[in-house]
Amino acid sequence: MKKRVTAFLSLSLAVLLLLPGCAGQKKTEGAFVPKYDKNTEFSLTVAGSYSNFESLEAEFERFYEYYPNASLQYVTMDDYNNVISSALVSSEPPDIFTTTSSMVGNDKYKDMFDACEVLSDPALEIDYSCIRSSLIRATDSGDILMLPIFTTSYGMLANMDIFEKEKLEIPKSFGELTEVCAKLKSAGYESPVMGANKFTGPGMFNCFAYPMFAYNVLKNSGQADSLNALEPSAGEYMRPALERLDKFVNSDCVDVEKCSEEIKDDYDSVIMRFFEGDVPMMLATGDVVSGTAKRESKSNAFSEHPFKYKFFTAPAGDDGGYFINSVSICFSVNKNSKNLDMTNEFMRFLISRKELGNMAGLKRLITPVDDFSLDEVYSALAEIPADRSFSDKQTGLKDSAVRQFRAAIYALGNGQMTVDEVIAGYGSLPEE
Amino acid sequence: MKKALIIIPNLLIMGFILFFIIRYANARAAENRQNEIAAFEKMTMTTNQIIANYLEDEQHLCDIWANYINRSAEAGSPMTAEEATSFIRQAKILPEIEGHLVFLDDPNREGISTAAKVSDPDDYTVSYRNINIFDNIESVGEEREAVSLTRAYTNPMDGVQSIAFLHPVSILDSEAGELRNALLLRVVPLSRLEQKLVFLKGGYENVEISLVDKEGNYVVHGKSFKNRNFFEYYKSYNASTAGQYDQVIKEITGGTGTMVIKNVKGEDCILSYTPLATMKIWFLLAYIPEKDLVGSRSVDWLLLGVVSLGFVILLVFNSIIMMKYNRKLSEAAQEANQANQAKSYFLSTMSHDIRTPMNAILGLNEMVLRDSRDDNIRMYSKGIKTAGNTLLSIINDILDFSKIEAGKMELINVDYSFGSVLNDLVNMVKKKAEDKGLSFNLDIDKNIPMILNGDEVRIKQVITNILSNAVKYTRQGGITLSASARRLEDQPDVIRLRICVADTGIGIKPEDLKRLFVAFERIEEKRNRNIEGTGLGMTIAQSFLAMMGSHLEVESEYGKGSVFSFEIDQKVIKWDPVGDYEEAFRRSLEEQVNYREKFTAPEAKVLVVDDAPVNLTVFVNLLRQTRIQIDTAESGDECMPLFMSRHYDVIFLDHMMPEKDGIEILKEMKAAAETPNAKTPIICLTANAVSGMREVYTNAGFDDYLTKPIDVERLEMMLLQYLPADKVAPASDGGDTVGHALPDFLYQLKEIDVSAGLTHCGNEEAYMQTLRVFLANAAGNAEEIERYGAAKDVRNTTIKVHALKSSSRVIGALKLGDFAERLEKAGDRGDLETLDRELGELVSRYRQLAADLEPLNAQSVSEEEDGRPLIAEEKLKEIYGALCESCENYDFDSVDQLVKDLEKYKIPENEAARVDDVRKAVDNYDYEVIPEILSGKV
Repeated sequence: MKKRVTAFLSLSLAVLLLLPGCAGQKKTEGAFVPKYDKNTEFSLTVAGSYSNFESLEAEFERFYEYYPNASLQYVTMDDYNNVISSALVSSEPPDIFTTTSSMVGNDKYKDMFDACEVLSDPALEIDYSCIRSSLIRATDSGDILMLPIFTTSYGMLANMDIFEKEKLEIPKSFGELTEVCAKLKSAGYESPVMGANKFTGPGMFNCFAYPMFAYNVLKNSGQADSLNALEPSAGEYMRPALERLDKFVNSDCVDVEKCSEEIKDDYDSVIMRFFEGDVPMMLATGDVVSGTAKRESKSNAFSEHPFKYKFFTAPAGDDGGYFINSVSICFSVNKNSKNLDMTNEFMRFLISRKELGNMAGLKRLITPVDDFSLDEVYSALAEIPADRSFSDKQTGLKDSAVRQFRAAIYALGNGQMTVDEVIAGYGSLPEE
Repeated sequence: MKKALIIIPNLLIMGFILFFIIRYANARAAENRQNEIAAFEKMTMTTNQIIANYLEDEQHLCDIWANYINRSAEAGSPMTAEEATSFIRQAKILPEIEGHLVFLDDPNREGISTAAKVSDPDDYTVSYRNINIFDNIESVGEEREAVSLTRAYTNPMDGVQSIAFLHPVSILDSEAGELRNALLLRVVPLSRLEQKLVFLKGGYENVEISLVDKEGNYVVHGKSFKNRNFFEYYKSYNASTAGQYDQVIKEITGGTGTMVIKNVKGEDCILSYTPLATMKIWFLLAYIPEKDLVGSRSVDWLLLGVVSLGFVILLVFNSIIMMKYNRKLSEAAQEANQANQAKSYFLSTMSHDIRTPMNAILGLNEMVLRDSRDDNIRMYSKGIKTAGNTLLSIINDILDFSKIEAGKMELINVDYSFGSVLNDLVNMVKKKAEDKGLSFNLDIDKNIPMILNGDEVRIKQVITNILSNAVKYTRQGGITLSASARRLEDQPDVIRLRICVADTGIGIKPEDLKRLFVAFERIEEKRNRNIEGTGLGMTIAQSFLAMMGSHLEVESEYGKGSVFSFEIDQKVIKWDPVGDYEEAFRRSLEEQVNYREKFTAPEAKVLVVDDAPVNLTVFVNLLRQTRIQIDTAESGDECMPLFMSRHYDVIFLDHMMPEKDGIEILKEMKAAAETPNAKTPIICLTANAVSGMREVYTNAGFDDYLTKPIDVERLEMMLLQYLPADKVAPASDGGDTVGHALPDFLYQLKEIDVSAGLTHCGNEEAYMQTLRVFLANAAGNAEEIERYGAAKDVRNTTIKVHALKSSSRVIGALKLGDFAERLEKAGDRGDLETLDRELGELVSRYRQLAADLEPLNAQSVSEEEDGRPLIAEEKLKEIYGALCESCENYDFDSVDQLVKDLEKYKIPENEAARVDDVRKAVDNYDYEVIPEILSGKV
């Protein structure tokens, strides 16, 4: 069983080549044609940890157009990660449940994965070719047990109205960033770039430097293993990203102290501060962006002076930013579902460019499909060259290594340590 | 009747009824809706009670467990956790229900479950560390409602969504040996509650029962409710302000009620809500789409459809019936219109057809009166004039009456002289009255203003009618015409004129007074049968007065006389008083002489166009003494060349003519370019005097119109108005040379018809010249006739007799002409016997006529009087040449015309004899000698 779990990691790249029709080319999709009698009466339950899943409920309504007698509901499970395995073997198991990449390789979820339907079974006719291949994981036997629904990334929100007003282009490289920031600063923007000074993933230093760090690891095979082993010497692999971060925090681009004072958390506060309308660039993750739509009406400043905004990669590299794409959640099917056929039918309906695009658009997360034009906020991501576009799992970095990197950039960003100090301290850097 | 007048009210009534039905149906539907909602609310309450009972039952079972455990503790033998769970395991019947004993003071909120984890059959430990359901447990414990339960949560033992009923218990901590507070949870799968709700739907197929807590979080929710929280769901799909949103929360958590909300599809849905009985933290929501709750209204629409269809059928039926009656009415109206048109046509025709010959009769009669010296003839002529005027008066009355009846009579207000009106009235009536031996008295207020504004013609007509009647019906005594005026205080420029006619006539019986103003009614018809009249006079007068805002008042005493009076308001133009009118009138009478023309205008040129030659003759003769140059034409084709070539000062154009009528000719004239008459006033001559003609003529473009029979005074007045002032001269008192152009003795000659001669010669001057020529040649011609007759030269005799015939007729010697014609015919057939027998008499009468005309020699026009221009030598040669050429071509008409042209000029003395010879040759039809006379001159 252990073999099977670890195989997830090793096959995450190989699956790209195995997927039929997933060469990254957009395909035209036909309209969904129900397989079963449309009068079929059935109930399905989707279980997850999201307390609210309106975008999925919208899909329920769309599905009812084909199966009006269906009844689907989303159930928020308390203590999801601990309960889901039990729930799947209970008297009232969910038919579909959410899974995440972090569950892969964790023994705790062995039973859960054992209960998963093989979604790559051709008999199910689930066409997942629309999903970006780098996001799909398969078992060592090539089975696909989970399909991504939402993804996220690290980057920045840009206030397009400010750039238009100041007649500036969105910077694409670090050089352009410093030039643009100098102009913005002279135009009266105290901190042209802002973000949450937090240790977490959505923290501003992580959003700026992590994609560059991950890209370097991806391009240098062998680094990941040393980093994952927390070898002190592996700290040197962080140097390019750390030096770039050091330049960044010491430039006119960002006022770290101001960010600490004005942005108290890494989610709500980031959004509400951005909606004040005087921040040209706000470092954030896709998860943070997903909260913008609902908060537009809650911000008096934005309601009075709405502006156009978009998500871009942070321009940390000399040649441009790096689009590191992480899966937020996947859907898996309980192979013991009492309505397995109809559950798979719903998945067949849902896994399409249109429906996944709709869901991501409603949730305002990054769609897993190969078409960014479905949501204008993320439309700029389509311009990232394939060479600098990759999945976080392609790097092979483990959570422990990632956390050490975060500790390094947090200490460096806040001036607590120098570049050399944090490199030397790799493996034993204090984490929050 | 117009269709719209039927259809619109029908549609309005139908619309009203349909509106009423819809309103009624809507009211009923609203009532039904209220009833349905009330029933739905009732179902909600029932459901509430059943759920409450169920929850109480479950709570009761939980309490039993807890009480047993607690009583053990109270009895001094408290149960350990294991003993308690063992007890519960034995006590519970249903396997899906679990009991959890949780120690809230444990950091991980751990405890023991009656059932093992489904993922590990040996593990009975339950942990609520990550399940936040005990936040309000203290308050729950204090308030101790009938039911104490958690929100829906995931059972950590089996992952099933469940609710838990709570009861605190005291458990012995076996390790510490002391009592420890714990919470007993009766954990029930949520599906059990959902199953209850499924069976509680009652009669509502699509109802969805949900339970929410105070914050709106769902405990159980139907498939239509989205989001994890009902209030969030409401906010997402129902546009509302913050205040409205708060109000909704307040209402739902505040009591029982019903509201309308939108679902995800935007449909109206009924939401009935009530707090769960026996507990305050849960609320029951019953949801159903409104269309599924409120009964179908198809019956109402069916009713409406049937009623509408019935209305349409009724409307169509009504329309058909109405159309049928309308068609009949239309036919009747058409017939009536045709009859009315026939009447109008009759009046128009009668007017034209009677007035046209009347024009000839009265006009020619006027000529007779002017020209005749025979007393008998003049007496007869006067009789004709009187009768003719009477006839015209009757026709005018009928026409006026028809105008009034048709509503086409119009008042034409003009400035007029009141004195002039009186003059006309007195002139007209005084003679009639005096002829009957009646006195005619005037009582005219000296202060009546001189110039007033009003319809002079109609006022005069009203008074004339009254005066005429007075004269007609008064046998002895007299008639008094009174006129007075007073100022109006409120209208400073208006006077109220009072006219009163009093007679000593036969009077009117009181009972007949009412009939006085009835058309065609004549009072005491038998008694007055010899008095002419139509019975329209008073009716017309009364109608005119009514149009002027007045009325005729009558006071009468049968056998003694009557007083007719009326008052009319007249605007004052000139306040100068009319003065002592009686005196002025007396003077005018003394000065009055027989008819005289008002003016002369020898330079003026007038064109008159009429298809009746006699009318042209009348027109010409009526104006003869004015010496106006008058050209005549009998048709449009004849008049247009004149119109295009010669300038006229006034053109009179008859309306009714064959081929082109006057209006068509007028259009041609108006359209003509390069005419010298572009600005010449054109006056319509018409015998058509029916109503509306004035508009017809003025609209057609005529400058004025003159009715026939032509009243010479109106004609002269019209000419004075339109002729250029520099061409008009006042008539001279004694210098009427034209009038004396024809000597009186001519009229005494039985052989001569002066009128015929004038007609043939065109005017007096030409006539006189012709007579003189006739006289000058008479002796020679008589001699030649005798000579040829004696020589039995039939051919030349006949030619000479033919010439005599023509020349006699030209001068009006018609009988002599007829005599010559008879002998000419005898000559033509070679009847020598007749010629021998009668030629002598012819020559004798010829010579006698010449002898009778001899006085003309004494009246030759002197050289001094000849104002003609002297002919130029070249012009004379030109005419001579043309004469020779015409004679050679036997174009004798041209010869005649050329000689006439010569007469327009004064001839030089050296050529006078030659021209005289030419003239004589023409008179004698000796055209062949003319070239000889002119030889050497051409």
